[in-house]
Amino acid sequence: MSSVRDANASSNTKPAANDSHSPPPIIKAAIAKKQPPPETSESVWTRRWVIFSFWAVAIFLGLPVWWKATAIYRAELPLQTMTDWADGKICKPVFPLRIAVEAPALPLQDAQHLVRTTQHALDDLNEFSAHHLRLMLAAAPFANASQETVGTTNDNTIEPFRVPRDKDIALSIRMLPVESGSTPRSELQQYSPALDVYYTPNQIPPPSSTSSPLATFIANELHKVFAEEQATLAHLLSTTSTAHVSKIKSLSPEFSAELERQSTRAFKYAPTYHLTFSLFSPTSVPSDWEIESALQQYLTPLLESFSSISNFTVDTQVQLYATFSPSMRQPEFDAELNAWTLRKEDLSGFINAAEWPLSPSIGIGPTINFVLYVPDPSQSPLLVKENGGNSWLVPQWGGVRILNPTVSGGAPSTPAKLDKEALASAMHTFSDQLFSLLGVPQTPASLPLRLTTLTRVRAASLVFSASSTLSALARLYKALPSIPIPDTVAKSVDLTTAHLQLACNDLREGRFQGALENARVAEAEAEKAFFERSMVGQVYFPDEHKVAVYLPLLGPVAVPLVMAALKELKSFLVWIKRRE
Amino acid sequence: MSLLLPFLSLALLALAPYASTEHTSNWAVLVSTSRFWFNYRHLANVLSLYRTVKRLGIPDSQIILMLPDDMACNPRNAFPGTVYNNADRALDLYGDNIEVDYRGYEVTVENFLRLMTDRVSEDMPRSKRLLTDDRSNILVYMTGHGGNEFLKFQDAEEISAFDLADAFEQMWEKKRYHEILFMIDTCQANTMYSKFYSPNILATGSSEIDQSSYSHHADADVGVAVIDRYTYYNLEFLESQVREPTSKLTLGDLFDSYDEEKIHSHPGVRYDLFPGGEEGARGRLVMDFFGNVQNVEVDGEGGKRNETEWLEELEAIDRLINEARRRHNESVSAPLFPQVQEEKMVVNERQSVRREGAVRVDEESGWGKKIVGAAALLGCMGVWAAGSWLEAL
Repeated sequence: MSSVRDANASSNTKPAANDSHSPPPIIKAAIAKKQPPPETSESVWTRRWVIFSFWAVAIFLGLPVWWKATAIYRAELPLQTMTDWADGKICKPVFPLRIAVEAPALPLQDAQHLVRTTQHALDDLNEFSAHHLRLMLAAAPFANASQETVGTTNDNTIEPFRVPRDKDIALSIRMLPVESGSTPRSELQQYSPALDVYYTPNQIPPPSSTSSPLATFIANELHKVFAEEQATLAHLLSTTSTAHVSKIKSLSPEFSAELERQSTRAFKYAPTYHLTFSLFSPTSVPSDWEIESALQQYLTPLLESFSSISNFTVDTQVQLYATFSPSMRQPEFDAELNAWTLRKEDLSGFINAAEWPLSPSIGIGPTINFVLYVPDPSQSPLLVKENGGNSWLVPQWGGVRILNPTVSGGAPSTPAKLDKEALASAMHTFSDQLFSLLGVPQTPASLPLRLTTLTRVRAASLVFSASSTLSALARLYKALPSIPIPDTVAKSVDLTTAHLQLACNDLREGRFQGALENARVAEAEAEKAFFERSMVGQVYFPDEHKVAVYLPLLGPVAVPLVMAALKELKSFLVWIKRRE
Repeated sequence: MSLLLPFLSLALLALAPYASTEHTSNWAVLVSTSRFWFNYRHLANVLSLYRTVKRLGIPDSQIILMLPDDMACNPRNAFPGTVYNNADRALDLYGDNIEVDYRGYEVTVENFLRLMTDRVSEDMPRSKRLLTDDRSNILVYMTGHGGNEFLKFQDAEEISAFDLADAFEQMWEKKRYHEILFMIDTCQANTMYSKFYSPNILATGSSEIDQSSYSHHADADVGVAVIDRYTYYNLEFLESQVREPTSKLTLGDLFDSYDEEKIHSHPGVRYDLFPGGEEGARGRLVMDFFGNVQNVEVDGEGGKRNETEWLEELEAIDRLINEARRRHNESVSAPLFPQVQEEKMVVNERQSVRREGAVRVDEESGWGKKIVGAAALLGCMGVWAAGSWLEAL
């Protein structure tokens, strides 16, 4: 084994051998310094083991520990599914509306035929395939005939309904035979989802015909009732997802501009809205208003009718000596109108945001502001110059109404207390504005129908927004590899997709209230996943920072290790050369 | 139909710019990043901008003001309780109506990124959050000491241009802004926006790479410089030209007002991310970012239901609701909204379970830690005792 010795060691043996022939000591010192004794093979091996064990610790312990300690935990996310949701590959929202036809006066055979022909006429009219009306023959409450469903074939079973006005029935058509008046004519009930159709018995299509004026009439009426809803949904589909654009055929530009305006005006969906009613006055009066009873009478019914879609909290305040913002152009007197006027372009600066205490930042929901402004008697009446109006709406913020004091005995005077009657017109304005701000459609006249329309629109928009949040998260996951993704995010994503699927199924089966509930949960979970608190950090770490961190730490350790390894490697190479 | 199509597409083209200019709220994020008395001017910069946007109509609830130090109450301040941005001391920026959202050591890179991406804890008050949506225009103004692609926060840490760009990208992905105007006044400021890659951002900075950004003038009595040049000339434009919310001046006018002779550095503007490029950005109104102007809709006189109809409707709804309630009370077995209630119950259950669990785990791990600590302590004592015993041998 001694042959393994390196060159130095072997050269050392020569003077050592000479030593035994004893040259004079002085000469010896001149020839060479005293060399250390040759290394024994054990010590050489010990050294090698030591070096080896250091390397082993560094590689087998240090490296994994470093790897583990600096790795960023990224939970697995179903990226493909998340993207597919946003692309509309998994769920194409459809809105099958069930419409019950009640025809107690008709024999079953005729009624079925009428429903069938009307359905045909409807299908011919419909241009937006995702939204289709499905007619069904409802048993009249008093008849116990077998339930019949007629319409397009579908795979899901329709449960027989006992109550004619089932929750899942979007609209009931009541066929009422009359003898007088122009027929056919229809009348939409204002406070219940029902359409009364008056006809004379001779207008019932004979069983042999495939179309009839009555059927076409009903189909047209239905189409008219749901026209705005169809347009709104079509618009929503076209703006939120690219996959659906091809479906939209005929939206007139004026109409889509109007829809765009509506979507600009309306608040985003929230489970809870916060309503603030504020009375502002530049003087010391009115210092009191009967707002509580006014709200109770004029607003509570509306809010309660909304309760299946959103909840509301309400608060009120009175602010006296509220002045205009100094940068606002002051009202001008218009002799023609005999009134003080505000220009329309100044209206958005009317609210003195710096000093009027609005937007209380409480609760979780967005705040909808309603401002009642009672002008100074010396500046009264105060009107909008362009149209002489006294109220306006600020998109996604709230509404403003100017309440001019009544003129009594020549000079206008402000009462110290505004009673309920004085507030009625203002509350009327506010309730109209509230409906606009919440995105309630303008037509049809029936309020329950408009609310169910809103349910469908909101459910669809929540599905879209949750899907787009998912895909945003998926894109971020890929784009920012240094962001940690905890398990809770994966869990929330799973919950989101599950609820989205439920919502989608509900939509397909026409359970719109259920769809809204599920979409709401999906949206909340998606938001939670995206805004996970721990998904932030020093995202970007430049390379020079890494060098700066690691070099002082690893440099002193690495130098002896590497040098020792190199030295041993060199001696190994020499040994190999020698063996040759 | 074929005749209609070109008309339709024309109309859509005509609509597109209208739709894209529409925003419904304005927000401002005003950040100073430096601490200590000699950086008085950075806080004055931010407070001046704060005063301007507030004057032009952005409410306090939509302004996020970050002040890392309190110059008004600094013991070195010869005019306690006030901050001035000019040696004439005509205008007290601190005033009596100021709402600072992040103060002192709260102003950190992490908090700033959390604010922008809204990754905040649940108990964060609404006033400290940026609750914007895809209809919000945001003004982001930053000032402090910076360098090539970084901006120092509080002399302790720094935000890099990459971090900022990623934060904006996350905001864009989540549709948290409509358009952003990014302004920065610091040395080598233009490098800070060079890494942005998200659309709809218009960025401007005070100085190019390897250029310093200078202060405008000092107040001998305050003892330090009171405002930076770039901010000073921005304010000069905003205060002297943009007098009222109806101002029709454009950002192009603002950018053209920059005079390199006066500013002593080369302000830059980055147009390429903005829709419409340079032309589109320069045509945008100053008030689209510095004010709070929306298209209000004046309610017309006609076309609305009259009051008696409205009252009738209310009564009818009332009746309906009472009817529904009565039915609901009668049929206890069939609740009105079974799904809703179920959902609520599930949520409650989950919450309560989770809360209990968290408490239990905390306690357990607390005890576990104590045991581990005690064991480690005992072990050390044992080793010590054994060592001294061996030594004694």
